[in-house]
Amino acid sequence: MELIVNGTRHDVAAPEHARLLDVLRDELRLTGTKLVCGRGECGACTILLDGEPAYSCLTLAAACVGRRITTIEGVGTGDALHPLQRAFIAHDALQCGYCTPGQIMAGVALLERTSSPAESEVIRWMSGNLCRCGAYPKIVRAVLAAAEAMRDSHAG
Amino acid sequence: MPGESSRSPSARRFVATRVEVEGREETKVVELPQFEPEPWQQDARLTIVGQRAPRADALEKVTGAARYTADVQRPGMLYAAILRAAIPRGCALLDVEAARTLPGVRDVMTGDDIPRVLVQERPLFESTVRYAGQPLAAACAESARAAESAVLAIRVRYEAQPHAVTTAAALAPGAPRVMPDGNLAEGGPQTASRGDVERGLETADIVIRREYRTPVALHTALEPHGAVAEWEGDRLTVWESTQGIFNTRSDLAAALGLPLTKVRVVQDYMGGGFGAKNGASANALIAALLARRVGRPVRCVNDRAGEQRDAGNRPGTIQRVTLGATRGGSLTAILLDADITMGAGGWLGGPGRIYHELYSCPNVRTTERFVYVNAGPMSSFRAPGHVEGAFGLECAMDALARELGMDPLDLRRRNLSHRNESNGRAYSAKHLDECYRVGAARFGWAARQHDSGSAGGAGGAGGAGGAGAPRVRRGSGMASQTWGGGGGPPAYAMVRINGDGTCDVLTGTQDLGTGSRTVFAQIAAESLGARLEDARVVLGDTERTPYTGNSWGSMTVASVGPAVRMAAEDARAQLLEAAAGMFDVEPNALEARDGTVRATADGRCLTFAEIGKQLGDVMILGRGTRGPNPEDTSLSTFGAQFAEVEVDLDTGAVRVLRVVSVHDCGRIINPTLAESQLEGGVLQGMGYALFEERVMDESLGVQLNPNMHDYKIPTLADAPRVDATFLDIADPAANHIGARGAGEPPIIPTAPAIANAVADAIGREVTEIPMTPWRVLG
Repeated sequence: MELIVNGTRHDVAAPEHARLLDVLRDELRLTGTKLVCGRGECGACTILLDGEPAYSCLTLAAACVGRRITTIEGVGTGDALHPLQRAFIAHDALQCGYCTPGQIMAGVALLERTSSPAESEVIRWMSGNLCRCGAYPKIVRAVLAAAEAMRDSHAG
Repeated sequence: MPGESSRSPSARRFVATRVEVEGREETKVVELPQFEPEPWQQDARLTIVGQRAPRADALEKVTGAARYTADVQRPGMLYAAILRAAIPRGCALLDVEAARTLPGVRDVMTGDDIPRVLVQERPLFESTVRYAGQPLAAACAESARAAESAVLAIRVRYEAQPHAVTTAAALAPGAPRVMPDGNLAEGGPQTASRGDVERGLETADIVIRREYRTPVALHTALEPHGAVAEWEGDRLTVWESTQGIFNTRSDLAAALGLPLTKVRVVQDYMGGGFGAKNGASANALIAALLARRVGRPVRCVNDRAGEQRDAGNRPGTIQRVTLGATRGGSLTAILLDADITMGAGGWLGGPGRIYHELYSCPNVRTTERFVYVNAGPMSSFRAPGHVEGAFGLECAMDALARELGMDPLDLRRRNLSHRNESNGRAYSAKHLDECYRVGAARFGWAARQHDSGSAGGAGGAGGAGGAGAPRVRRGSGMASQTWGGGGGPPAYAMVRINGDGTCDVLTGTQDLGTGSRTVFAQIAAESLGARLEDARVVLGDTERTPYTGNSWGSMTVASVGPAVRMAAEDARAQLLEAAAGMFDVEPNALEARDGTVRATADGRCLTFAEIGKQLGDVMILGRGTRGPNPEDTSLSTFGAQFAEVEVDLDTGAVRVLRVVSVHDCGRIINPTLAESQLEGGVLQGMGYALFEERVMDESLGVQLNPNMHDYKIPTLADAPRVDATFLDIADPAANHIGARGAGEPPIIPTAPAIANAVADAIGREVTEIPMTPWRVLG
């Protein structure tokens, strides 16, 4: 099957029943997307499918043919970080970092939907992404700060 | 002096010292450092230590580039899956023939195929089943899915026997034998006492008695236990998600009969540990054994169900507490009688110890029964014992305060201890009273609202009010903590100055997500006079770094930090010696700062890079050793937490609105990272107080919630506002960087502070956690 991941076409030899998560991690070696619960309970495997957040552990790879798949590796790297990635660093919105790719994917989806989310909206939207280290207070701050930075850069 | 090699031949260089590890005291041999830097006093002028430097590995973590154990891919690597027992007790007979013939399967391994190797003191793949979830066999295959299919195809014939999954069942007459030597660890109760408790109760004006229950709690680190093993000839490399690479190396070497030279353990990024990952896991042994049999690398990572059933836990407790006090509120007796749910193995980490340490009281006795049951073995879990014990003791203190008609904070202040009464030693420093003062002020303790006893809805947070409006009450509570965290030897570090002026800090510790990569770079840059961005910490690899111990017991900063500082100072002294010729002055006429060496007399400068260029391939290598702890001194952390809650009287739902967390952990190396630790500890403690509980089916003896939906850790929507504060008072008597640990302290007082706030809100004590709605509604 042919998958478009982070703007690149990949010809993938995967069985019909393969989870998107396994194809990303094991075939394409995009290991930023994490397997934690494997049943849609924690959000660690969140990716974007045509810009909408999706749990890659509950998504069949075959169902993604022809759709735009974005993983953490496609959000930003090195000097070209997404404002949300910069905000996660600036606000220390992570500890062990295992949930971070999923958190950032969820946050990016929110910021694409709304440029000025209320704090309550951030809390509601992000609460499907579990963090065991307890970075939650700083995750909220990081998302709000990124929204502000993105508004400023549009205004400027 | 750094750099001097003269050493008196008669001076003894290796001596024994006492070190507290996870609440236990151990005697260790320690190397006396060749020089000990002067302690950084409170007013030391530090420019990098104490700064809010961003986390050193944050970029890798936000881009997905950080490679965790479960992400390690080796050429030709196979995937392993583990067969786990479906019954709690009996015998399992395996037929693996069908499993072997499935497509993609390369090996199926049972207890008959392996040498006797021990995991948590029990043989791996033992056919005698002691708990549901116990590993029985493993398979490896070309894909994870094929390995899972192979495990499902193993035919298991169980001969089930009666089981016991509660302490009551395991202590009943004629109870099934969980472990070969009986159901009580060490054959009987463990008692510790001082003074005369009976006399203390006789002299008390008021005696209160309570029974508290705490659940079995699961670590639920997002990265499960896992390992990748690869053999090159007879040399083994294991990538493992571990809190102790050197412990893991010795475990593997012992199990496989290898010299330490043939085992390398690597742990780069780690997705949390919280105490459950302290040595070679079953996963590491399975991966190593399978890899040796099939001649290919093998990855063996727990699936979530396996992780939640068999990766350790915080044992459940029943604590029967008796407190005696004078009318004025001075404690005369503290008595604890406790049953602890061990599971099928574990160590004696009980709730008793904090009863001896937290308050001044002449008469204390604790009796603990560590009971084996047919369930997953316990392991260390963030402040093991103290979290459970603090719940009982600190709830009982509030009950006593109510009996006495005293403010709970005043009662605690009345019973402040000025030395560690459990061993008679002085504290290196203790500022608990200041934690109380700062915490009470930040919380607004004196002006707090009391809703209990008043009409429903008085909290005012329930919305518009009127008919049908939720009946919501607010309440406030507080609790205190003490924990070790003083660290100790042995720990080593090396600082290597590179030709371009950058430096590598090599130390065999781990970064669990705690920030050790960041804080050791800060300590090294400060001590060397380097720029922070030029210092890189290399850790988590037994072949690249000198020894340090496990990252447990809030010990890492206080253990490794002094070694890093000494190594950096040693390297700086050598650098100045090397530069002296270039400046044509004595080394002591030079100073290093911001990556530049300056002549103090005339201000001439050379950057580290310029010096490095002139030195060519001359290697400047500083060596640091963690010296012994001060004699007869208790090194402890202290703290106080205040919580405000809202309780819905109709649904029983508890919402924690805010927590003020103030701790005395010595000097803070990086306030931002330390605050993150406090916030995380508070949130984990809140989960323990309100949601988290391993649920067992008593008749089947299996766990009902081995997943993340039914085992509920806090979500963002549950998070309170957390005001995380450190006193940040250096403790130069503890060690020469003046720091103590901060990882475990914040989880200890969280659950009792919340429970005390709930009692304040509803006017009734809730003595069992988690405080689920039906327990709150009573």
